[in-house]
Amino acid sequence: MKSRTLLSTDLPRKGCAKSSFRLPAILAASLFVSWCFAPAAQGTTPSAPLSSEYAEVSPPESMDVAIPGPLRSFLRMAGISQKVSPEEVMPLLARNVFALGYEGPWPKGRRSEFLILLTRYVQQARELTSLAGADGVLHVSSCGDAKPLLKILGYRTRPDCGQRGTFLETADPQRAFLTIDSGFPLVDLEKSLQEGRTFTYPFSTSHVPGPPVEIDWTRKDKRADVLDMLIDDPELARFYWALARMDAETLSALRQLHALKRMVPQAAVLHFYGSHICIRSGRVIVPGGSAAAPAWKDLVGASPDSPGEFIPKLVTKDGGWLAAYFDDLSSIPLSQQSHFTEPARLRRLYEMFRGKDSSDAGVGVFRHDAGLLLLVTRLRWEPNGDPYIPGNIEVWKKIFRQKTDFKVVRDWGRRAEHWDRPSQLLDGLFALARISTDTGPLQAYLMLSELDARRSPEHRLSPQTVALLAGKFPEFSDQYLVFSEFSDLNDASIAAFLQVVTALNGIPKEPLRGNALGTFQASVGLWQILARQGEIPGEGLNDSWQKMIRPFGRIGSPAQLFDAGRAAVNGLLLAATGKPDSSQDKLINLLAGPRQSTPEAQRMHELIANRIRSILDEQRLVSLDTLLALGDGLREATQGNFSGDTLLPLAGELREFEMPQPIFRNSEREQWAAGIYNNRHTELQMRTNLAKIIKSPASPQQVAEARGQLAPFLRDTLVGLNYAYYEPPGAQILHHNPLFVRSHDFAGDTVVGLERLWQAPQLFGAGSPAGGGAHLVGSLADLPYVLATAEQDFLAPRNVQALIWRELVPGLLTNAVVPRWWNVSRNELHAVSLCQQSGEEILAASAQNEELRNKVMNILSDRMLPQRSARVEQVLRSGHSPEVLSQLMPADTFYLAAEYQQRFPQEPNSFGPAGNELASLRQQYPEEVSWERLSRDFGVPHRVLTQSYTRELLNLPPFPVFMGYANRLFAETWDSNNLYWARLADEKGYSPVMLNRLVPELTRRMVEKIFATDFEDWPALLRAARETGEEFRQGKIVALSRNDSSPQP
Amino acid sequence: MEKRHFLIVALLLGILLLSTFRTQGQEDPTRLRVVVNLVQLNVAVTDNKGNYVTGLRPSDFVITEDGIPENIANFEEGNGPTTRLVETAEAGKTDVDGSATGQGHARVQDLGSGSSWQDSLETLGSAISGAKVFILFDTSNYMYRGFVFAQDAIANFVRSLESADKVAFYSYSRDLYRAAALTSDRSEVVRGVRTSVAGDDAALYNSLLLTVQDAGQQPGRKVIVVFSNGPDNASMVPPEDVAELAQLAGIPIYMISTQDAQLEPVSTAVFERMSAATGGKAYFAKSWRDEKKAFASIRDDLAHLYSFSYYPNPNPNRGWRAIKVQLAGERLKKYHIRTRNGYRPKPNRFSVGNEAPSAALELVPN
Repeated sequence: MKSRTLLSTDLPRKGCAKSSFRLPAILAASLFVSWCFAPAAQGTTPSAPLSSEYAEVSPPESMDVAIPGPLRSFLRMAGISQKVSPEEVMPLLARNVFALGYEGPWPKGRRSEFLILLTRYVQQARELTSLAGADGVLHVSSCGDAKPLLKILGYRTRPDCGQRGTFLETADPQRAFLTIDSGFPLVDLEKSLQEGRTFTYPFSTSHVPGPPVEIDWTRKDKRADVLDMLIDDPELARFYWALARMDAETLSALRQLHALKRMVPQAAVLHFYGSHICIRSGRVIVPGGSAAAPAWKDLVGASPDSPGEFIPKLVTKDGGWLAAYFDDLSSIPLSQQSHFTEPARLRRLYEMFRGKDSSDAGVGVFRHDAGLLLLVTRLRWEPNGDPYIPGNIEVWKKIFRQKTDFKVVRDWGRRAEHWDRPSQLLDGLFALARISTDTGPLQAYLMLSELDARRSPEHRLSPQTVALLAGKFPEFSDQYLVFSEFSDLNDASIAAFLQVVTALNGIPKEPLRGNALGTFQASVGLWQILARQGEIPGEGLNDSWQKMIRPFGRIGSPAQLFDAGRAAVNGLLLAATGKPDSSQDKLINLLAGPRQSTPEAQRMHELIANRIRSILDEQRLVSLDTLLALGDGLREATQGNFSGDTLLPLAGELREFEMPQPIFRNSEREQWAAGIYNNRHTELQMRTNLAKIIKSPASPQQVAEARGQLAPFLRDTLVGLNYAYYEPPGAQILHHNPLFVRSHDFAGDTVVGLERLWQAPQLFGAGSPAGGGAHLVGSLADLPYVLATAEQDFLAPRNVQALIWRELVPGLLTNAVVPRWWNVSRNELHAVSLCQQSGEEILAASAQNEELRNKVMNILSDRMLPQRSARVEQVLRSGHSPEVLSQLMPADTFYLAAEYQQRFPQEPNSFGPAGNELASLRQQYPEEVSWERLSRDFGVPHRVLTQSYTRELLNLPPFPVFMGYANRLFAETWDSNNLYWARLADEKGYSPVMLNRLVPELTRRMVEKIFATDFEDWPALLRAARETGEEFRQGKIVALSRNDSSPQP
Repeated sequence: MEKRHFLIVALLLGILLLSTFRTQGQEDPTRLRVVVNLVQLNVAVTDNKGNYVTGLRPSDFVITEDGIPENIANFEEGNGPTTRLVETAEAGKTDVDGSATGQGHARVQDLGSGSSWQDSLETLGSAISGAKVFILFDTSNYMYRGFVFAQDAIANFVRSLESADKVAFYSYSRDLYRAAALTSDRSEVVRGVRTSVAGDDAALYNSLLLTVQDAGQQPGRKVIVVFSNGPDNASMVPPEDVAELAQLAGIPIYMISTQDAQLEPVSTAVFERMSAATGGKAYFAKSWRDEKKAFASIRDDLAHLYSFSYYPNPNPNRGWRAIKVQLAGERLKKYHIRTRNGYRPKPNRFSVGNEAPSAALELVPN
């Protein structure tokens, strides 16, 4: 390896990639090949000392690891996707060993069944390898030959070997289980025995690239098998996994600095927070760039110029919290970093963040710094450099003093009394970033800050409104999503809402309160849909909002509730159509989308409307028309105008619903599903007998009360419309469990003591056969995601052993369901496609142009960890641009083209025909193909990240998994799907309205193809998307009715 | 010429199977309509000792739906040929084959437990001639200890299905996996069985719902056989919904389990009641190595089922429709009937929008 002196750079940069382009190609190529894409073993290279000024970088040592038997079998047993490359096998094995291999903390924790089976398999595979002999092939040419093999496999022949009816059956269940679970071709062996043919099966040792560094730090026996060592030592395995996520140059430097061994005890911290640690030119790249280096030196106690000291201290200090701080700041764009890394601020904010809590940042399954990452990612700044404060400082002093169970919040509440500067609030927010809660001052700040972010300066939330919202935040926080999405809703609208919800909470009778909460939230949900689709005009948002919610402010009886619901529906239709007359069909047509003018779009609109109708049917909900007609008739009856002939058939419809044919007796349900089975709401409805009142003489008061009996039915129909609108692709519950909508528990009936009824609903009753099916408990906030959570397991993975990944898949489905495509022009659709193609052209050009490549990597490094960034750069440097394309997400190339144009407007930014066409399109239709428009129409909602269902494209890397969110943030930062589906549709000549059908279905197919190994396995998503795209491109997937789509190439 | 005639009849029958029958009131958009395809029934007739009664004819059966007499459209006994009895699907135009005299020659077959293992398999194979068999295998943690033995049992079962039309093999834990799509190649199915992997949670009713849906899309006689030890800790839908869907589609569900399942009364109750409601049966062997009796029972059952269908006469009921099958004449009244007890028609006002979600896009075969 040729040594090379590397000069450090003072260029401010966010990530390693921004500096790594200065590395000579040959050096990086060696590093890259040795670790990232090495097909097999590499020779060792002598290490050399590394100083802070001069770095001699050599490739890390890499050895191949012997895996007994076929890789396919090993992957099955190790819980690793069959689609990974050989280079990924050992890191993923290490990951699974520490993540799944032990029950309880190691070394006291005992081995899990997963690890026991894996160990047994390795032993069995070694026996088989031995049996296969030197040629590595198992041969069985006769029944006699088969005996040793069958003994290892745990099978025997029945009835007699060599006959046509011979079959294999279990002799040793433990071995047989391994044989089956590892995918041994038992059927082929059986057939050979039946037919007297020779059975051959290659069973040699497989080789995969091993650790790039010596991992025998803790063992004296240096001859120990690497595979066994990893399996036996979860700490070592975790350390290895952490190292595998670092880029090659950093790893090599650490190895040469002999820094690795010192960090083994910090494996957990390094795993959680070490992926941004990056050494270039002998220096650690720190958040804030070289300008911040002195501050980091001061904080860490070692200079970034001395990586061998800096990094071990970084990961060791304060139980890993400093590493978390470093990692989160490394994750955000440089412009945002600079605010936090000002010399005076960096230490101060860290000290606030660290606080007095001495707990370990590396404990648990997930990292614990979601609060900090969200804060530093989303915090906004005033032009003078102060953090933005919703309302004013006085309001926040009060907010910090609100009642809380957390001592640290109480402490800060006392400190807040003396605040007079925004920076003090920032201190307080950092101090609370480690608290695990959904309802603390930090969470209120993040929400209110997002609410204000979309408001113009003159329409910012008033301090009074901020105080109001924050005061009720613990109870209503999830309801604020609507204010975040619709920034036109003013202070008065917000205040009116809070007044109404407070009044609704005060309804003393539980059934009435439950119906009121359901009807109210369903009305809000319908308003939200119509406003989002632009059917309620912007100038009418406040008026329509207030008219809709106001009737719910004084609910004292079921009749009043019915009237309020009816008024809300009338108000919605009036706001959207200008006419107050209500009918179910009109409402459904509005929900299906804005009125369309072309026959193709009209057909699509009708299709979507009918899907909503079919769910209402299958949920067996009473028609809105029936309810309104009954309500009108009964009202008239109180005034003496009685029309029994008209009303009786309508009243009969209320009694048509029947419970599913019961499998369980009531006593059995009480015994087997206590606290879960509850259909009180439905049973009350089934006892409703309006016909009796209509037929018999009734007083005006009785008739009025009868109108109130319609309220629960109206609630269900309105809730059903919300459910139907957000139907996830592949949904089954909505179509087959007619109790699903009715069972939504708004009053907390099912679970006694549930206090978060206004928050996003929770799923109850799953896996309880006598419980009547899963149902939701809580509000309708976040309904798209929760519905997708309930329905996700009806998607069937296409790959054996693959699973539907919880939290991730609902996020992907939500991203496909919430966006609609009625107002997207062909130019816009084409621009999205061209943007991706143009990004690819830029990449291809950068392979031959170092200056361009530097620019490209500067842009891409905002979206990538240093390791990935280094890999991409290296492939580009080696001139293999097609190869790099397979590793980039559609969003990467899309952002590349958009950002390039944004950052270098004066430079030629067309590097091919797509770029030229895009430039021409931008010139001709600047508004249509603007970033804002594309972001709005092709973005995804970020419920957690931006506290809003607003669709938006955020230029962020895939987020890791966090405690409290699992991989929901990962799903929110996965915005490639819609961009990619749009490109495919454009290529195929489909019109934009077809995306209403294509996007959910392609997403569904993509989800079924995901074959992932771990929570953050974004390459698995990329593979699945590309496989789906290929099927689509090859014409294997076509729209059913091509007539609908009228492709125009 | 005969071939051509047969083709036309087959096509006509196919069209009839796909056609929908709507109840009155469909012009009123506020009123629900329901779609009722051909209603298919599998009926077991037994004597007091549980022996199957064979040799009955269409005219020996009296079918009512909500008390409304129905006319048999197709009739089949065990592995015998199908007799088509209806020329048109239109209600009120039923034309029963004149050869059905109502004087069936009932025979009682004593199929006690004396049959050998090999005999069981062979008979079972012939029993389900022409049927499409969907096998659903529980690979969850609950099956962990008996996993390989259950696999052996399923492999044996598949081998015994030589004369079945086609077989599909699915496995499930938290999610369904379609290991072998419906195929006439048994070795593909056994391969699917032998490549199934052990999973974690159990979502039996979710998976069974999807299996019923798949089976329901197939024409002809279908059977679902579930191999499971019972507990369900992950399903979103209750067994009631699955049973109703199976009843609507006329698909009997057979549950094969072990005595382990009987330790959990919920599963036992569901297995017995759901299979009974759909016209199937539940079996609880001592262990997965002792499934012979279950196989023999299924063999007996499938071999002696009368399978017939009818197009419902106009019925305003949009809710649960009770089906009653009786034997005509005093001579036959001593026998017992087992079949599904009814079905709930699928509400459908919007034929365009009623397409299955999966039908929004279609996968074009290679």
